[in-house]
Amino acid sequence: MSKSKNQLSKPIKLLNYLMLMILFLSMIVPMINIISIAFSTNQASMSPGISLIPKAFSIEGFTYIWKKENLWRPLFNSVFVSIFGAFLQTFLSAIAAYILMKKDLPFRRFILAFIMITMMVPGELTLVSIYTLNKSLGFINTYRGLIINGLVSGFSIILLKNYFESIPPSIFEAAQIDYSSEMKLFYKICLPLSKPGIATVGFIAFVSKWNSLMIPVTIITDQDKYTLPLVLKSLVFNSSSVSGTDFVAPNAIMAAIFISTIPLVIAYLIAQKYLVSGMTIGSIKG
Amino acid sequence: MNSKQPKFHKISRTWKLMKKYRFIYLLLIPLLLYFVIFSYLPLFMGIIQSFQKTTLMGTSTWIGFDNYKELFKNKDFINSIINGFIIGTGTLCLSFVLSLILALGLNELSNSKLKSSIQTTTYLPHLFSWTVVGGIWINILSPNGFVNNLLKSLGHQSILFMSESKYAQIIMILTGAWKGIGYTAVLFMASIVAINPNLFEAAQIDSASRWRQIRKIIIPELKPTMATVLILGLMGLFTNFDQVFVMGNPAIIQKIRTPLLFIYENGISRFNIGLATAGAVVILILTMIVTFLVRYLLKGEHLDV
Repeated sequence: MSKSKNQLSKPIKLLNYLMLMILFLSMIVPMINIISIAFSTNQASMSPGISLIPKAFSIEGFTYIWKKENLWRPLFNSVFVSIFGAFLQTFLSAIAAYILMKKDLPFRRFILAFIMITMMVPGELTLVSIYTLNKSLGFINTYRGLIINGLVSGFSIILLKNYFESIPPSIFEAAQIDYSSEMKLFYKICLPLSKPGIATVGFIAFVSKWNSLMIPVTIITDQDKYTLPLVLKSLVFNSSSVSGTDFVAPNAIMAAIFISTIPLVIAYLIAQKYLVSGMTIGSIKG
Repeated sequence: MNSKQPKFHKISRTWKLMKKYRFIYLLLIPLLLYFVIFSYLPLFMGIIQSFQKTTLMGTSTWIGFDNYKELFKNKDFINSIINGFIIGTGTLCLSFVLSLILALGLNELSNSKLKSSIQTTTYLPHLFSWTVVGGIWINILSPNGFVNNLLKSLGHQSILFMSESKYAQIIMILTGAWKGIGYTAVLFMASIVAINPNLFEAAQIDSASRWRQIRKIIIPELKPTMATVLILGLMGLFTNFDQVFVMGNPAIIQKIRTPLLFIYENGISRFNIGLATAGAVVILILTMIVTFLVRYLLKGEHLDV
């Protein structure tokens, strides 16, 4: 069967290209617009006109916002909380997943159900009690609070468990001869064979910590502990409110937005090659 | 007694296994404790607090259903459910259709470079936080922003998008879809790739056109993924917070206040814990009803979740 035959007819093909083009442009144009504003001068960023390339190139937006908001601090907070949180989440989920893979573990089903019920209830709804809880644990305005809230999720445990289970059992049986202890079996066989699963869970955990807004806004009031989303939120709010006691030019706000997306894009590029296979195995067998 | 023997064996076997795995249980305890403290405890605390009146000093008294009575008299709360429903279902429907079109369309592209660059670009907004996406769109829709400049160059008057309440909900729906399409499309594409190639070969032998193959093979095979996307979307129907928290301003907040924002405003900002937790309980029940209903309607389908 020739390959050319198994294609769409000309008009439908054209329509498809058109649809993809529209979707692609509607995604990329706003992003280019923002980048162009971020790299414009103060003046140019406020002047009217459609800009897809900076009218007057400058990085004064970056230098201004960096100084004004003292971005080192929130940037450090975000990086620290996200990397540490993502590492812990992946590590703990992997251990839990490995344990729950043992079919003969007594009460395994009960433990699994116990974890899966937490996935059925939207945890966000318990926000007020989460606040009370954090207050009585002394987590308000601390890194502990930022890291421990949302540290483990049923989703990442189940995803990794499914991934581990996709490793052929014969590999484990063969390895049991070489490695006597479970610990060795876990980190010499199970982890290296599950790179896509590990990368996916680590990536998702990093992104959700990096982007987290609701928990920080609830438990953080101290400016020293602000994460990037909190700083951005206050900037964006100033720009949309009319009162404008503290005017910040668009180029500076867009510069801050641009900075806060860089780590995400880097993380995505690192994890990219594993992501699709990690996600599919997790969802197919879920 | 013959029948008792196996049972006894089973218990002693379980006991032996538990002894064998005692260190494993030790490892699991902190984890399960985490779920008890951060998932189950807040849930029960919330239910209890919803029947109490808590003062700023921290003392609480049992007041029965008073919080709920106050809640259902509260216009903001009723509106928040309506807003959440309109914005949530609007976003869900729009991004469902568009992501399906995107996934099916990308699947037909033979140029893999083009394919992956479109896929990456459309996926990126999903990675960004709502502070980023909200900030981007507030700028683009601002009086001096991209859209208004476009309107002006077409000889149109500029529009104050972010301060007119009639545009508020549609803007939330459009930006929500803008952020979510790429991710849903990835889910669809992953399932398309997993379709058994034999199905296509058989169709080609019957000389079915590609368009026919899409309609008769790909779309039916995507049903479980579609059901998953719908259920996940419905579970999140009333938990939209970040988007409206970032993009809301006093001029439009009435139109976009979602239940979770209502809970935050009352519970955290105004310290009206009873009212906020009562709201949370009502929304929790509502979410459960909606998801169970949809699960029931989709009963025939094999679900991924």
